[in-house]
Amino acid sequence: MSKFGLERRTFLKGILGGAAVSIGVPALDAMFDGNGTRLAFGQAIPKRFGIWFFGNGIRRAHWIPDQAGPAWVAKEEMAPLATAELRPYVTPVTGMVMMADPNNHPHHSGMAGIFTGQRYFLNGNVRDTISSSFDAPSIDQVVAERWQADPATRAPYRSLEVGICRFRGSDEGTTFQHLSHNGPNNVNPAEYQPIRLFQRLFGTPLSAQLDQARQSVLDAVKADTRALKQRLGASDKARLDQHLESIRSIELRLGTTRAQCATPARPDATYPEPNGQEPIAEKNRVMSDILAMAMACDLTRVFSVLFSSAGAGTVFWMAGAQNGLHQIAHDERAQGPEPQPTLHAAQVFTMQQFAYFLERLRTTPEGAGNLLDSCAILCATELSEGMVHTNDEFPIVLAGRAGGAMQSGFHYRSNRENTTNVLLTLLRAVGDPRPSFGAGTGLSSTVIPSLLT
Amino acid sequence: MRRTSVFCLFLSACSGSVGDPSELGTDGGPGPGPGPREDGGTVVVEPPPPPPFAPAPGTLQRLTRTRYLSSVQDLLGPGLNWPTDLEVDTPLFGFTSVGASTLTIGPRAAEQYEAAAMSLAHQIFTDATRREAFVGCVPSGAADPCVRSFLGRFGERAFRRPLSGDELDRWQLVVTNIEASLRDVWTGLELATAGLLQSPYFLYRVEVGSPDPADATRYRYDGYELATRLAYFVWGSTPDDELLAAAGRGELDTTAGVEAQTRRLLASPRSKDGLLLFFFEHLKLDRLEGLTKSPTAFPQFTPAMGPAMRDEILRLVEAEVLGEGGDFRRLLTSQRGFINDDLARIYFMPSAGPQLTEVNHPANSPRRGILTTAGFLALNAHETISSPTYRGRYIRQSLLCQDIPPPPANVNPTVPEAPVNSGPQTFRQRLEALHLSNPTCAGCHQLMDPLGFGLEGFDAIGAYRTTDNGLPINASGTLDGRAFKNAAELVEVLADHRDLGACLAKVTYRHATGHKETTGETRTLRAVTAPFVESGYQFDALVVAIATSDGFRYAKVPE
Repeated sequence: MSKFGLERRTFLKGILGGAAVSIGVPALDAMFDGNGTRLAFGQAIPKRFGIWFFGNGIRRAHWIPDQAGPAWVAKEEMAPLATAELRPYVTPVTGMVMMADPNNHPHHSGMAGIFTGQRYFLNGNVRDTISSSFDAPSIDQVVAERWQADPATRAPYRSLEVGICRFRGSDEGTTFQHLSHNGPNNVNPAEYQPIRLFQRLFGTPLSAQLDQARQSVLDAVKADTRALKQRLGASDKARLDQHLESIRSIELRLGTTRAQCATPARPDATYPEPNGQEPIAEKNRVMSDILAMAMACDLTRVFSVLFSSAGAGTVFWMAGAQNGLHQIAHDERAQGPEPQPTLHAAQVFTMQQFAYFLERLRTTPEGAGNLLDSCAILCATELSEGMVHTNDEFPIVLAGRAGGAMQSGFHYRSNRENTTNVLLTLLRAVGDPRPSFGAGTGLSSTVIPSLLT
Repeated sequence: MRRTSVFCLFLSACSGSVGDPSELGTDGGPGPGPGPREDGGTVVVEPPPPPPFAPAPGTLQRLTRTRYLSSVQDLLGPGLNWPTDLEVDTPLFGFTSVGASTLTIGPRAAEQYEAAAMSLAHQIFTDATRREAFVGCVPSGAADPCVRSFLGRFGERAFRRPLSGDELDRWQLVVTNIEASLRDVWTGLELATAGLLQSPYFLYRVEVGSPDPADATRYRYDGYELATRLAYFVWGSTPDDELLAAAGRGELDTTAGVEAQTRRLLASPRSKDGLLLFFFEHLKLDRLEGLTKSPTAFPQFTPAMGPAMRDEILRLVEAEVLGEGGDFRRLLTSQRGFINDDLARIYFMPSAGPQLTEVNHPANSPRRGILTTAGFLALNAHETISSPTYRGRYIRQSLLCQDIPPPPANVNPTVPEAPVNSGPQTFRQRLEALHLSNPTCAGCHQLMDPLGFGLEGFDAIGAYRTTDNGLPINASGTLDGRAFKNAAELVEVLADHRDLGACLAKVTYRHATGHKETTGETRTLRAVTAPFVESGYQFDALVVAIATSDGFRYAKVPE
């Protein structure tokens, strides 16, 4: 149940009053205490955590800002994030090294490494196409689990997973197909259809009268599940433990009323692809809008956006692409007079999509600030340069201020630190006191002080 | 006795080893085969005899999306709005069955299953006539024997085995509780129906076995588990009443009984959809649904072509492989085609109408079998150009089951443009310059590209061409020592390849059992290959051989 209850409605109506989300500030004052840091009825503005992934790397020469510190000047492929409005919220982190598993299978190593701080889980010992999963929960689920366990930080949906570009990758395990993981081969698949995400969050709920009956049903389902567990080996037992955990997430919503919350515009039923051209910007826009509203309504506090998958096969037609991004990264010549124009345009476009999402959060007011103030967002890809598959100079961008816990708006230039240091720092920013994160060569017990306030 | 050759030279950059390509059932790892030879020559070794049969662990296979839908359709009857909001499947090692035996049900999936079950049950119980027909009686209350008899009957279909007394008590209690709170026994039955469809006994195929009375070192799948394995393998759906009854009578405890039921399922028209599911996944036909090609390079390509290409391949499989007298090799060599107006434009044939129509490609046509269908060629290509590498890799990995290591890190695989003054080059020539003359790349690409060159007469949408970049196509090459001049010869060499039957047997077995085959099943794989090959590559013979095999019927003793 929303901790904001009915009072929230007044507030959100304002947000959705029109396309322009700048609303009458005086109307909001009553809802917050004098400092604007707590809601008037006593609850702190929650922190939110999310990851935003785009596939197949960047181009270092067009990505890494020249100056470290607050005077950074964005290179062209990061420029969409460096508008006057977003700049104070954005922190490029460069110079990091994927130590969890350097250059083993770059797409797999980087994808699993940047979100778990450790090497991927190999699905059996095969020699042909490698098939892998994450060996531990991805960082979004690390945060979600902790927040879900505490009624003070729990939201109705433990986390939301969203996908934008159609999955066109290959059969290489969950590492390629999915972003959010609860553990090895235990995934939270992304929702790619805006209408379904909308219906799930804002559609007509089942009658509250039925909740007690649903609980009876789920009790029987759980009893069947526990009985079945007795007959199984350890790994299948663990799979059913996850299933029980999943049922628990339904139960937590039973007997509660849905937040009285304004509803975002209903998305189109489908997003057609004329001539096979995906309407990526449109989908990103509507998904970003729904996600921002889901957080404004406190339906969830954790999210992941799989913009495109590892080794992205997405055809960025609006960037002039005729082939999938992965292929272009390999084929388009870097040398000579033509500096990979299609790749360049695709990267700029991708950061424009991330910028739209950030801007949507920024323009959603909350307390004295906005939604982006309360967020800690990790934006990453799975390798450095798509063309040569490397894991050095691992591209990371942080966004948001984690409710004031994160220092933002400067370029953090590292001298070959472990990428997991960033993960541990983010966990610290959202209140997780653990001393270390990751495993193996990816293990980190180093918080980056300058990223925190 | 099989002989094994090693086809290529491996240098360190191409880390990995082709190992022992015709060895069956290896669980990966560098095989027992010979090490690489610096001169790149052929090494001939005798593979060691396979170890004694050791069954794989039992499986807990979640119903894939397709199998969930066909199961609820069988259980609930026609005419409902079937759920569309179900989790996407994650294939592993080529098959959704393997992924479904490995992955879990996360919070979102549990939510989707609940919503789907509630919707399906509600559609039935909201209709007074339908609910009475479905329940089979009119209950006066939760204690009415009508309730328990319905739960027993529907529960057995849903769980694919009879329910225990405890389970019946549990589900009857659901009806009782809901009747008490909502004052309506029908609502109790509705929600119990929705509950049975959320039970792990419905959502997972529980195949763990029980001690084999004949052999204490292994478990045996009981009749109901075997009925489930058979039904999902051959029909792609839940067992029918007759199969469950046969299991109840103990008929699936004998090889003859299993064979009789397998043949019954095969004889049913329902086997078509079930068996096509294997080919659909093995050929990755789902990707034809949203096939895209460059509008600049192929202005004649339309989004409707992908589904038509997919349907052509399914029709070809049905015509040449399924049913009595089917022969898997004909899938490779067939001169039949199935075209409609969309495909006619790719095949340069006269208008054929909106429906697929069977045609015979004439003797002088370059089209021969599945590798020359527009679907295979377009799927294994880029958006703008063909891909000899993808095409060759499919042949090598998926038709011959030979491993190819993934590309190493830190290589720049950019295909070089032709030098300015050298004149035009074909794509083959460029690839030969990049992949095959560079030793870092050649080790692996030697296994793929030359096979794909045999299909260079077909562009990225599968249209036939005689030139590339203005130069004549060279589609000649060799496959494991046998030369071919063009696609038609390539498919003949392939159809005659000694690894073809063993490979199809292996991947069909993987699909059917939902796990990556283990070393302990090597004997089973050999045992199912032999009758298949001897039958003249009849797929029905392979299905019967797999269904009656030790690997299909026995499980490892749980630890």
